[in-house]
Amino acid sequence: MAAHAHAVKRYPGFWGWLWDWLTTVDHKKIGILYLVAGGLFFVFGGIEALLIRLQLMFPMNDLISEDFYNELITMHGTTMIFLAAMPVIFALMNAVVPLQIGARDVAFPFVNALGFWTFFFGGLLLNLAWLMGEVPDAGWTAYPPLATTAYSSHHGMDYYVLGLQIAGIGTLLGGINFMATIINLRAPGMTFMRMPMFTWASFITSALIVFAFPALTVGLVAMMFDRIFGANFFNVDAGGNIVLWEHIFWLFGHPEVYILILPAFGVISEVISTFSRKRLFGYSTMVFATILIAFLGFMVWAHHMFTTGLGPVANALFSIATMAIAVPTGIKVFNWLFTMWGGSIRFTAANLYAIGFIPTFVMGGVTGVMLASAPADFQYHDSYFVVGHFHYTIVGGLVTGLLAGIHYWWPKMFGRMLHEGLGKLSFWFYIIGFHLTFFVQHFLGLLGMPRRVATYLPNQGFDTMNLVSTIGAILMTVGIAVFFVNVVITSLKPRHAANDPWEDGRTLEWAIPSPAPEYNFKQIPLVRGLDAWWKEKMEGNKELPPAEPLGPIHMPSPSILPFIMGVGFFISGFGFMYNLVFAVIGLVIVLVCMALRSIFDDHGYHIEPEEPKKGEVAA
Amino acid sequence: MSAHEHHAGALPPEPEKATLEGRNKILGFWLFLGAETVLFGTLFSAYLAFRNSVLDGPKPEELFQLPMTFIMTVVLLVSSLTSVFAVQAMHRHKTGQMLGWMAVTIALGAVFLGLEIYEFNEYAHEGHRFTTSAFSSAFYTLVGFHGGHVAFGILWIGLVILQILKKGLTVVTAPKVYVSAIYWHFIDVVWVFIFTVVYLMGKV
Amino acid sequence: MTENHSASQPQTQRHRVEGPQKHIVVFVLSMVLTIIAFAAVAAGKVNKLFVIFLLLGMAIVQAFAQMAFWMHMKDRGHFFPIIGIVGGVFVVIMLVALALLWTWW
Repeated sequence: MAAHAHAVKRYPGFWGWLWDWLTTVDHKKIGILYLVAGGLFFVFGGIEALLIRLQLMFPMNDLISEDFYNELITMHGTTMIFLAAMPVIFALMNAVVPLQIGARDVAFPFVNALGFWTFFFGGLLLNLAWLMGEVPDAGWTAYPPLATTAYSSHHGMDYYVLGLQIAGIGTLLGGINFMATIINLRAPGMTFMRMPMFTWASFITSALIVFAFPALTVGLVAMMFDRIFGANFFNVDAGGNIVLWEHIFWLFGHPEVYILILPAFGVISEVISTFSRKRLFGYSTMVFATILIAFLGFMVWAHHMFTTGLGPVANALFSIATMAIAVPTGIKVFNWLFTMWGGSIRFTAANLYAIGFIPTFVMGGVTGVMLASAPADFQYHDSYFVVGHFHYTIVGGLVTGLLAGIHYWWPKMFGRMLHEGLGKLSFWFYIIGFHLTFFVQHFLGLLGMPRRVATYLPNQGFDTMNLVSTIGAILMTVGIAVFFVNVVITSLKPRHAANDPWEDGRTLEWAIPSPAPEYNFKQIPLVRGLDAWWKEKMEGNKELPPAEPLGPIHMPSPSILPFIMGVGFFISGFGFMYNLVFAVIGLVIVLVCMALRSIFDDHGYHIEPEEPKKGEVAA
Repeated sequence: MSAHEHHAGALPPEPEKATLEGRNKILGFWLFLGAETVLFGTLFSAYLAFRNSVLDGPKPEELFQLPMTFIMTVVLLVSSLTSVFAVQAMHRHKTGQMLGWMAVTIALGAVFLGLEIYEFNEYAHEGHRFTTSAFSSAFYTLVGFHGGHVAFGILWIGLVILQILKKGLTVVTAPKVYVSAIYWHFIDVVWVFIFTVVYLMGKV
Repeated sequence: MTENHSASQPQTQRHRVEGPQKHIVVFVLSMVLTIIAFAAVAAGKVNKLFVIFLLLGMAIVQAFAQMAFWMHMKDRGHFFPIIGIVGGVFVVIMLVALALLWTWW
């Protein structure tokens, strides 16, 4: 089976192109799929956010109805966290991690595709709620009893419960895949303590996904059984308990916020170090801090429930544990500052986003410590102070970090450099708009403005700050729009990004062509130290030392099965709501696909050694 | 990358770990079991929270029959042992013996599943239904999830047996045998905690 | 962290095929622990808290033995499988604590 070079048929025209993308198992293409899908959902969530801000622009505004407002806040939160932030994180992980560790692909290319398609169809199912006219409206946390059939009798919350379950399967598969990839596929010499920080962050994030998402799955299953099959988990009349949902949701939900922020930490570490032309300050403490944050992240969930009434002992315990997280996070912040200290800093768009991240995230962290104080939390709880806090961490932290990463790795993903001027313009609109939007919300909260309320009365001191906040949101939208314009303009230009377009690249991905050829490395490289590529450059080498002779490269075959399994889950999701026969049919489709995958061995195909030389030019 | 290094020669002593694909599969499956641990842990958590929310339904001490649970436990324990024997036979390259032990494993799994269905049916007749109380919902969800895992394991190991019959024991099929055996042991370990926490502690 | 390298090398020469003896020992141990557990409950009239801890202890011993021998976790190259299970158990401890301590009051 070794001889035939191209087992993959490539069909011409649009359908061939579409078939290629639907069946791809190449991590770089799946990364692009994640980026496109995440970007699409980000636009949905952004429009929802803008509508919320426009409604709150003036007191007693009646731009939208209260019911629609509830739907907007629910879908905004759910979409942004699960369907926009998570996939863009996976986009960067897919695009970068295998390259950074010197691997040809992820450990399970098929599962990688499956993870994408289940995520995508889960998200699609959730957002189809808009078209079906029955939209989730119990908040992104879906607290019972509001989310039970007693108070939410239409199918809205069913879309939430089923869509997130299906998307959650995809996320879990991704987490397992990246853990296995990083453990088993590192190039010779790439020890754990030589791994780039982004890879470390991806590794720990994947571990958090593996241990946190099953809890959410069970919570969602319990709620689904309650809503669809009449179970009593959260039905107080039949002995259920709504506090259990809060516990399970936040036992997942708090690790989830670290799942979101750790990759951003990883991106910032890479970008700042590259554009300061220095190795990352305190690499080993960065690794240690990342692990510690992940570990502590599982022991602080109840700080979301201080006002639930767990009692002073529990509140004190979780209060202290929460504050402890500030220590490893502080270590990271100082390490970034010391990395910049004495470096020759280049203010590229990517680095602007990275530098903008640091003070912004610190502000989110400081309000986090304020919120961690249980007695004070009774004052902040359910007010705009909380809204300000978590937008500082998730938007000011994660989204800023992701934008830094996208600008930084864009040439490696697409072979084209984003326009620097437009990038800087988008940064300034974005960062000024961001602070205008959310800084004042802290004060709105302290003045007593509650979250999740569709309007407010005039002359309570809320009017000006809400107007400022909405103007900020519009500026942010402009910033994001400039970014999209930048993407469109860039995509019209020829692909001529250099291997190492920033010229100061430190890690392995910058040693290979942009975009990387489908086999990534012609020969698996030998890694001789931390920041392997920088080390080779400093010793005057133009290429990485190879760890294997030139030979045929084994590649996995593309497959349509992941897409079909996604469709199967999608059908079963609809079936659980409207007709159980279709639920069974959908799951049977999934099982049959699994069996087919097991029965028909994928022998893959080989790219012959002389091909890479040609391929480099063609790619 | 090393998928074909062993095709020419004889099968290595641990054929499941002979290829990178095989090692990836085993590692990935272990990580999946880590996730499964949390999945069952959450179900246990719900069951423990609702162990007293019986309402008008039958109490656990009235409901559970120790002899029945004991038989189910022994059946699953023996099936776990036969599954070890299957893997040992694989390491000795005795394909026939291995298939035999795998067949015994799924037969015992089927017996376990049959007993569980019979048991659930009995409970339903005694007024312990899925919608009776929070206790009953949590009970059926926890034990039902475990039963679902057993059913999936039977289908899976059955499929692996068919594949071995067709393709023989190779470095491609060996990891499937190994991983499905690990899965089966994991189900048995979960059952150890189910019979302890649900059935025995329910009777204490 | 070095365990990985041993895991990624095919272990060809070193391994002698093991006999069934120790697996049968684990089976007998599991059976004995199971019988003791059922007997302790069937006997009744023993201190309730004592029985609960006894049951839990025997379940943990049995699970430990099965995972170490039947699932080969004691063998070389099982660093990450152990991490996987230990991480899962760590979260399960949280889950059990919240169910027992902080759900009802």
